[in-house]
Amino acid sequence: MDSHTNAAGSMGPGLRTGPQPRGRGEAVSRTRKKRGIVHELVTNRILFLMLLPTLIFFFINSYIPMVGVYYAFTRFDFGTGLFDAPFVGLENFKFLWTSGVLAKLTLNTLGYNLAFIVLGNGLAILSAVLLSEVKGRWFKKAAQSILFLPYFISFVILSVIVYNVFNYESGFLNTMLKGFGLDPVDVYNTPWMWVPLIILFYLWKNLGYSMVIYLAAITGIPEDYYEAAKIDGANIFQRIWHITIPMLKTTFIVLLLFSIGSIMKGQFDLFYQLVGNNGVLYNATDILDTYVYRSLKVTFDVGMATAAGLYQSLFGFILILSVNAVIRRINDEYALF
Amino acid sequence: MAQKKKLGFTVLSAALAVSALAGCSGGTDNAGKPAGTGGAKEASAPASGSGGTGSGLDTSKKVELQFYMLGDAPKDLPVIQAEINKLAEKDLNATVKFNYTSWTDWDQKYKLLLSSGQQVDLIFTADWTQYQSYAKKGAFQPLDELLPKAAPKLNGFVPKDMWEAVKIDGKIYTVPATYKEYVTNGFVYREDLRAKYNLPKPTSIETYEAYLDGIKKNEPDMLPLASTSNPVSSLSDPFRELTRDPVGGPLPYGIGIKYSQPGEAYSYWGSPEHLEELQTMKRWMDKGFFPKNVLNNKDTLTDQLTSGKAASIFGDNPTRFNDSVIKIASTHPDWKLEYYPFPLSRGFATPVHPIHNGFAIPKSSKNAERALAFYEKLVTDKQYNLLTQYGIEGKNYTVENGYYKMVGDKNSNGFGREAMNGWAWRNPEYMLFDKGYDNVKKIFSELDKIQKPDIFTGFAEDYTSYQAEKAALEQVTKQYLYPLQAGLLPDVETGLKTFLEKAKQAGLDKVQGEYKKQWAQYVKDKGIK
Amino acid sequence: MRIRDDKYTPLFQAAAYLFITAAALACLFPFLLILSASFTQNESIIRSGYHLLPLDFSLEGYKTVFRFPEQVLKAYGVTIFTTVTGTALGLFLMTMAGYVLQRKDFKYRNVFSFYIYFTTLFGGGLVPWYIMMTKYLQLTDTYTALIFPGLMTPFLIILMKTFIRSAVPEELFESAKIDGAGDFTIYSRIVLQLSMPGIATVGLFLALHYWNDWFGSSLFINDQSKYQLQFYLYNIVNAMQFIAQMGAGTGVSLGQDMPTESTKMAMAIIVTGPILFLYPFVQRYFVKGLTVGAVKG
Repeated sequence: MDSHTNAAGSMGPGLRTGPQPRGRGEAVSRTRKKRGIVHELVTNRILFLMLLPTLIFFFINSYIPMVGVYYAFTRFDFGTGLFDAPFVGLENFKFLWTSGVLAKLTLNTLGYNLAFIVLGNGLAILSAVLLSEVKGRWFKKAAQSILFLPYFISFVILSVIVYNVFNYESGFLNTMLKGFGLDPVDVYNTPWMWVPLIILFYLWKNLGYSMVIYLAAITGIPEDYYEAAKIDGANIFQRIWHITIPMLKTTFIVLLLFSIGSIMKGQFDLFYQLVGNNGVLYNATDILDTYVYRSLKVTFDVGMATAAGLYQSLFGFILILSVNAVIRRINDEYALF
Repeated sequence: MAQKKKLGFTVLSAALAVSALAGCSGGTDNAGKPAGTGGAKEASAPASGSGGTGSGLDTSKKVELQFYMLGDAPKDLPVIQAEINKLAEKDLNATVKFNYTSWTDWDQKYKLLLSSGQQVDLIFTADWTQYQSYAKKGAFQPLDELLPKAAPKLNGFVPKDMWEAVKIDGKIYTVPATYKEYVTNGFVYREDLRAKYNLPKPTSIETYEAYLDGIKKNEPDMLPLASTSNPVSSLSDPFRELTRDPVGGPLPYGIGIKYSQPGEAYSYWGSPEHLEELQTMKRWMDKGFFPKNVLNNKDTLTDQLTSGKAASIFGDNPTRFNDSVIKIASTHPDWKLEYYPFPLSRGFATPVHPIHNGFAIPKSSKNAERALAFYEKLVTDKQYNLLTQYGIEGKNYTVENGYYKMVGDKNSNGFGREAMNGWAWRNPEYMLFDKGYDNVKKIFSELDKIQKPDIFTGFAEDYTSYQAEKAALEQVTKQYLYPLQAGLLPDVETGLKTFLEKAKQAGLDKVQGEYKKQWAQYVKDKGIK
Repeated sequence: MRIRDDKYTPLFQAAAYLFITAAALACLFPFLLILSASFTQNESIIRSGYHLLPLDFSLEGYKTVFRFPEQVLKAYGVTIFTTVTGTALGLFLMTMAGYVLQRKDFKYRNVFSFYIYFTTLFGGGLVPWYIMMTKYLQLTDTYTALIFPGLMTPFLIILMKTFIRSAVPEELFESAKIDGAGDFTIYSRIVLQLSMPGIATVGLFLALHYWNDWFGSSLFINDQSKYQLQFYLYNIVNAMQFIAQMGAGTGVSLGQDMPTESTKMAMAIIVTGPILFLYPFVQRYFVKGLTVGAVKG
């Protein structure tokens, strides 16, 4: 470790202005509401203590660095600290709309993420239900492990395999087509093909992961529900439709709400590795994250990167607040907060 | 002592002269007083608290220096570090920690190291790590006053014109390497196949195309030329270097500057020259010289050549060509590779600019003097230099007839030749070479005969005023120009028109205008004709 | 007593087997390609692509990865250590948090839930976080830097909360409270017992995160003996990619050649292997789901 003799004591400018955690139980009681908090924390002090490490963790790991959002409005400078850097207003956001692609990127990002959420969860629920009904124990275990395999294959490696399957001259696909006497297809120069392809690869990679979540939820359903239904003469489809699916609703809504908050944050690696430098496909496959990454690789500007992130965050923030409010209206149980 | 002072004085007056010039020509110094005057007094004043070395260096307090280099650390680094620290503790009352960024996201880490304010005392710089921009933005400490005081020997060791060459806005921010090498491009091709089918030797675009044609005809399963997913570096840059007489480069934003007329920057994109380049690539693509899906190909150029998948590389530098030769010698002894350096047909060669390899002291360092004194040892002290470049003699390497020889092989030896990536502190007087490197030296000496200075790399572009446009342009280039450069679009002229429209939308004119203005200023300041 | 299955069940079973088998094959096929490629000579991959069986058998990919075996073993050790420590500690903290957040009598649970969730929406970006970790917390080159950032994620906490809520009936809390059990006792005696499938799932995800993590090493570790396995292996490949991307103009040559493609694939196999052994171990906790088959015989 290096010894910071004089830097250790001084807190950086960014550390003094972090948001204070609410309700630390200070003795300053001005309003009745405040007293309410204190009272609540005293009666439930054990529960609060159990939650405390989590609160501290997020304060350190997330809330303190959040001060850095201010970078989005300054011109980065090596010589000065964060708050002495020159304020430039919305200058850093400019590159997002200069090239006139912002609307398209936003739509692409939203579209792909919606497809991932709907199809991803649908397929995961279907597989989990089917797998839970299968009788063979050995088959069940093996299938679960195998479905999890793609999760470990990094996109770098996936892109190499995909290239081997689809490239024009010697790919599997065209070798097969030529074998049947058909014309070869130039997949890498046909943008529309990549919409289903990318969705497919996403599903393929994440199926095992999200299936486990639903499988755990199904496992948690008490067995006697099913027994009772059988006695009442419900067939297998009715049992699934009236017992399993409703019991998975909570889990699904939680996953859904989580995805909505980050609906403007794309699966960077998936797109970046599969499409790479192939500008021919950008209209159909470019998302915000890849665009920002490419644009800033040359200048590496902290301010612009933060600005782009802020745009994505704000979008997700507004959306999640509205969706959560609606859900809370309908059923408080399902709301995230 | 007197001599050292004198030396310091010369450097200073040189700095003064330059900054005065800059001041006259309405240059970058807006502070109203010429840069460097503030330091003149300090430097000529007697050094305070001299702690033993007599050169005005205070070594009374023990420090640990944080040294940062790119790439991966060799396995035996701890052993070498311990050896160096024994020496450094005795000489300078300092120890050093050698840190490596690894190649994973190195550029991002480089940025973090410089912008986080953590202690970094010495860091590698190069033109490709954007030394010019970083220096301009104030990431490094100026060394002009420190050098004569803390590293007088090093100050004298590096030739004066090199110190001049690395200056950014009239100040020195990095210690340049003095070893002279060439990284210019050249054709790498299979001599055995060329002779077998009686094809012409590639020395120009025409002869190269004839060679490629011959390969296509006689070896249908082979790719005539190796290409990667970056059509700029694997196709466009070599093409321009060979045929367009560029000043250096690769030049950004579609700017063209000819070495013979450096004063006139023009727009290469959209010019007849550019159209001809794109049409050539289209023709090559149609002839099947490289695969249709080249933009998604992830194989490296060298791999394609040495595995026999491809029959040539359009442009590679002498050292990498030699690496391929050595590799093939063991795997396919019946093959033969040949090299034709582009400078031979251009009529001149430019050795690497001093900015190409160097070490700087970041803003965050509190031990600038000691860091510089240590770096002086690394470069000029034979013991330090050999240890960090080749390891321990007898254990890692031996010297046979003046040649470097590794002990064991790369699978058993934990410290190969230049394993610490010590490109920047190479000292030509102490350097040891592999026997196999003689080929490269031969090419270098050929290029020495026709050498001219690099007049481009010293230019430090300041893109603050067009940062947004620069970023937007990056996207447009990849989306609309890359496919053209890889010959993928059926109609080149329409494609080029579309690209230029989009580029103008993204602010091409502003970017080019600013760049040209800055370049003109640079040419004027440097007195380049 | 046995209840007879309805007539649709065999049909349904057949469809399920068919579907799962098809999905499994789709997942297995690329993996087999990778396995085969990892045992193929690098040159052969570049010349003639991937095949289900190695065209030119070679161990060079594994040889490159295991050039200095002690380094790989050390990296394995680091990864196992961070995975075990991080997962154990993270699970403890997250099950507690999940439990508290789903307690209906904990008045401010929504406020705290929002406090946790909010961190997924906004972030200051990499730079401030990096500065905090290196400059203020001084975590460079420590195992803490590898373990701390991944301890908890909002997603897993909320997931945990959901699992506990659906696994532990509300009445149980009531009756336990009446019996005079404290909040912590309820957590340790009841909640942990009943939500095992959920805990296993969250634990699995957390372990996977630690196992696959290379970013921590990339940012905070300079000392090679503290590299995580993934990073150590990533680096082998990245050095080659870097050389490929840099034009000839940089003049960087590393003076050592590595089999790239086969190395990449060998790396994938080495990293994935052990986790596959861990997975059946986790499956033991999905016990209740498996008794269905047992009951039905």
